[in-house]
Amino acid sequence: MTTPLLDVRDLTVTINRDGRPITALDKVSFSVNPGEVLGVVGESGAGKSITGAAIIDLLVPPLKRTGGTISLNGDRLDQLSPKEMRRVRGGKIGFIFQDPMTSLNPVITIGRQLCDAIETHLRLGGNETKRRALDWIARVGLPNPDVQFKRYPHQLSGGMRQRIVIALALCANPSLVIADEPTTALDVSVQAHILQLMRDLHRESEVSMMLITHDLGVIAKMADRVAVLYAGRVAEISPVAELFANPSHPYTRGLIRATPMPTADGGVQLDQIPGAMPGLGAVPPGCAFNPRCSRAQSDCRSVVPPLVTQESSAFSCFHPLERDVA
Amino acid sequence: MLNYVASRVVQTAFVLLVISFIAFLLVANIGDPLAALLSADATVTERAELVARLGLDQPLLARFLHFLGNLLQGDFGLSYRTQDPVSQLILERMPATIELAFVSLLITIAVGVPAGIYCGVNPNSYFGRFIMLISTAGITLPNFVVGLLLIAVFSVQLGLLPSFGRGDVVQIGFWSTGLLSVSGWRAILLPAATLSTFQVAFIIRMLRTQLMEVGQSEHIRFARARGLSEARIWYVYAIKNTLLPVITMLGLQLGNIIAFSVVTENVFAWPGLGSLFLQSIQAADIPVIAIYLIFVGVVFMVINLVVELLYPVVDARVLRRQS
Repeated sequence: MTTPLLDVRDLTVTINRDGRPITALDKVSFSVNPGEVLGVVGESGAGKSITGAAIIDLLVPPLKRTGGTISLNGDRLDQLSPKEMRRVRGGKIGFIFQDPMTSLNPVITIGRQLCDAIETHLRLGGNETKRRALDWIARVGLPNPDVQFKRYPHQLSGGMRQRIVIALALCANPSLVIADEPTTALDVSVQAHILQLMRDLHRESEVSMMLITHDLGVIAKMADRVAVLYAGRVAEISPVAELFANPSHPYTRGLIRATPMPTADGGVQLDQIPGAMPGLGAVPPGCAFNPRCSRAQSDCRSVVPPLVTQESSAFSCFHPLERDVA
Repeated sequence: MLNYVASRVVQTAFVLLVISFIAFLLVANIGDPLAALLSADATVTERAELVARLGLDQPLLARFLHFLGNLLQGDFGLSYRTQDPVSQLILERMPATIELAFVSLLITIAVGVPAGIYCGVNPNSYFGRFIMLISTAGITLPNFVVGLLLIAVFSVQLGLLPSFGRGDVVQIGFWSTGLLSVSGWRAILLPAATLSTFQVAFIIRMLRTQLMEVGQSEHIRFARARGLSEARIWYVYAIKNTLLPVITMLGLQLGNIIAFSVVTENVFAWPGLGSLFLQSIQAADIPVIAIYLIFVGVVFMVINLVVELLYPVVDARVLRRQS
């Protein structure tokens, strides 16, 4: 078994609301292997983005990490001082933000922002830093790097800005990249280009990736393994092919069936999961999914199912779906 | 960029033209120059001669063009009160006021900007809250109260600084400067501090609000996620986003001090434009008031022009909004 690059155990995040702690992330555990792309899916509010932010200690107050361990290459990230954490951010873990329209500083040139990020972590000196910055502008597929270097974010299109965001996240050669909904804010045609770029860069640099998205299409295209989050808990973690072919958790199956897919006769099949995901502080006792689950029984309503590992996958369900016998 | 500069300059010129017209109407319609200039026993011929000499028989527009032409040649007319050229009166007083304004601007920047940044970066610290408390006083206390308090403490009680006048003045061409002598600097400190009290408090509050808002923004979070140092994040990445309103406010305040420091100049017996303006109003000295009005317009427009030309240097997005 390979040693994972990133190992997250029992990560718990709470939010303090009117003096009462509410659990936003409940003992989430997963790992990312070297060179692997781990997809993290779930509905809005399932805790995907919180998971990503918690890893590099970038939670927005009043969200607060209250438990669990995070290790990168054996180093405990959850015990680092703020100064040491700063070296991890950008240097060891790159972070790609969702909305390229708001995540670049509007009054500082692209080149300056790239150079600052490179200089902070690699300390190469002026000329080499600039050369790297120009190199990264070219690598993410922007024409005329010399021109782009001097431009401001508002002079670029959304897709071009997201390419710069990707360059900013990768330019200090991190070993892991956390991409938080990297294509959600983009046009569909641009999405495809950005995904292709991320695949290419991933292949070239062997960087590990944690890809947070609500789009199963993106997962199918990019991920090696998938973690499904539901109401702040891990529902299932499986290799991508297995997840789509034989989901174990009823929620995973519901999520897959809720994605529009053409059937053999040309129609579109779409099954929605009844009800809605419980919000913060409204998670029912037992399995969080039990009110919406057709297989729920009395044990689901009283005890939180633990994450059990079975061969290459893991799921938290007392009554998992049977595997289709091939 | 060239378009931007050109459009700003044209706008400025147009506004100045309008101000001059208003000032001209003031001169043309208020008061009776004939009564002021003619002796009581003047003949009808003398009267008609004067009317012709002053051009009072011309149509309004022609007189305005004449007025404008004189302005452009540096002929600002005569004061009713002293019979001196208005240009000479203004030139004598202007250096005192402008030096006072710039020294108070310096104090504002030197004190207000660092304190504002501190409060914006550490909004919940005790020292930050203390600064905010003090700044409330700076906002609410009227200028003359601050001036009197400063005089009471530094002149009367401690005897450190003079309470009136400009100190020793050195003449350089037409400009008389008090900034080249120790007594000049000692004299300017109290009035400049008085004028900057409000500005300092204002800049602190504005910077704090701006920084707290920018600090929440997504691009600052992303800068943190890239591991940039807190110093770089605040002093380069965040500050640059707050500069536009700060520069605008500083410019307007500078204009305000130059034009309307009447009260403070009075408290400190500062021989500047404010006291000239006050004397002119008391004597209904219309030509001086009119030229002063134009002067104030020029000051504001020039400062505004400089500020607007600085915008694109700070934030290139200004140019895009233009096109």
